[in-house]
Amino acid sequence: MSNTLRLYLTCIRNTLDAAMCLQNFPCQEVERHNKPEVELKTSSELLLNPVLICRNEAEKCLIETSINSLRISLKVKQADELENILTKKFLRFLSMRAEAFQVLRRKPVQGYDISFLVTNYHCEEMQKHKLIDFIVQFMEDIDKEISELKMSVNTRGRLVATEFLKQFM
Amino acid sequence: MACLERASPALKRILLKLYRENKSIEIDHHLYEFGSVEYHIQSSTSDAHYTYLSVSTPLLSQGFILPNGISHYTKQMVKGICPDVVEIMEPAKEGYQITLRLDLSKIPNGKDSIKVIADISAVQAVILSSQLKEMLMNVSSQDTFQGMYKTIKLVYHPREPFFIVRQPQKILAVFPIRFKDKTDVIIATAFFQELMDVGSSEKWAKAPPCCWSPIPPPELRGEPFEDLSTNGGFVSFDISSRHVKGKRLDKTVWSLLNFYAYVKYHVKSTRSFIQRRMRNRLQRLVEVLHKRSTQEEEKEEEEEGNHKVQGCMFMRKRINVSKPKILKRRYNDLSGKIKRIRSRIKIQGFGRFRRRWLKMPKFSSSMRYTKLD
Repeated sequence: MSNTLRLYLTCIRNTLDAAMCLQNFPCQEVERHNKPEVELKTSSELLLNPVLICRNEAEKCLIETSINSLRISLKVKQADELENILTKKFLRFLSMRAEAFQVLRRKPVQGYDISFLVTNYHCEEMQKHKLIDFIVQFMEDIDKEISELKMSVNTRGRLVATEFLKQFM
Repeated sequence: MACLERASPALKRILLKLYRENKSIEIDHHLYEFGSVEYHIQSSTSDAHYTYLSVSTPLLSQGFILPNGISHYTKQMVKGICPDVVEIMEPAKEGYQITLRLDLSKIPNGKDSIKVIADISAVQAVILSSQLKEMLMNVSSQDTFQGMYKTIKLVYHPREPFFIVRQPQKILAVFPIRFKDKTDVIIATAFFQELMDVGSSEKWAKAPPCCWSPIPPPELRGEPFEDLSTNGGFVSFDISSRHVKGKRLDKTVWSLLNFYAYVKYHVKSTRSFIQRRMRNRLQRLVEVLHKRSTQEEEKEEEEEGNHKVQGCMFMRKRINVSKPKILKRRYNDLSGKIKRIRSRIKIQGFGRFRRRWLKMPKFSSSMRYTKLD
């Protein structure tokens, strides 16, 4: 892992550690309802200041916190067109299977590639530090997977090109 | 990669069936294949010796249409497949470019028979290749106009035309690339870049140089706008004389005719490869999440198990007393249980309640006397 990536991930880990102090809090608008306040944003007193962590212009992480929920939105680097389509395809594929992850949001926040929504119930069920570990590892894996996919597509292309040119020899 | 094979698999199967049956059978099949190709195969018991095969295929170029559909050179090439077996019927059946009369009994026995049948099944590929070969041979220096060479537009598939430009030292084949999906364009572009890289390396110096450009090459100047509007750019191959000499001509022509199919097949396979890999990755990501929870459970179980072992050891120490004492304790427990079963139910405070509130009044009887003090 590169030094800048390590710093970026450590910063996110520490911020998440500080932000993930969630508690059960019923909705103030509707009786007997319990909704993630970070999504509704009905009461400003229940929201904390959002934190934006940027590695560079292309890679950033937005952490929005409220009393009973936390939203993490990620923007993954896309150096060229191939990386762009691979990232989009992969993250869309994961979003469409969000139920497998429990904390993954089906639609990312505007301007980001993928979003997570963590509620106090998730924290109770899965433990805070485990959730933070998962999100940080997810970020590492996504970067790794996209670079590997790009390499594989190019390698396949090279092999197919070689086979095509062999026909002329 | 069926479309990249020269022989039609369905036609080959039918011809093999006919060849293996010694007696003639009644067959009347119409086969339709990729690229608007149509075959009509007929065999009847009345005409036991011969099988009739008619082929309809779109012609490569509109500029080279002859009155009877297929040129003499193409007919020669078709007849050359196996002169003993194949005979061209004149005129061809209505609606078809060529009709062949096959005498399957003249096919040599043994392994060669399958090869001959495969060659006959590849008749459409022979027609297409020979058309392109003929064009390349017929285009002479007379076709030049003000120093520019004539560009031939070839239409193998209606939406996929490509161009052949004959130049003094080489032949330029230009393929405009179009895809409906943006993803396909990007995968294809990555492939063309690899093709350029591989082609420019020393190892492949003998292969035709390949060039990809997002804009049309200058040789296509003057062509209709709809042919030059693409989303995947233009791929061009410089075919030199050494690539069209002898046996190589056939390979080169077939590779050029199938370049589109080759690229499309690569794009399709790459898409499925990406999908397969994403599915595997999803499983691994989910496994990570579940592994955590199972590991936790295992740890907890282990911890619980450890406590139990400690407890057992502790109990063993406590229980380590003499046998008479154990028997006495058991006897006491048993007698206590019996007493509890036999005794009346005791309710705390009920005695006091009964004494106070449920006390029966004492009545003085007339029969009894009271002692006077």
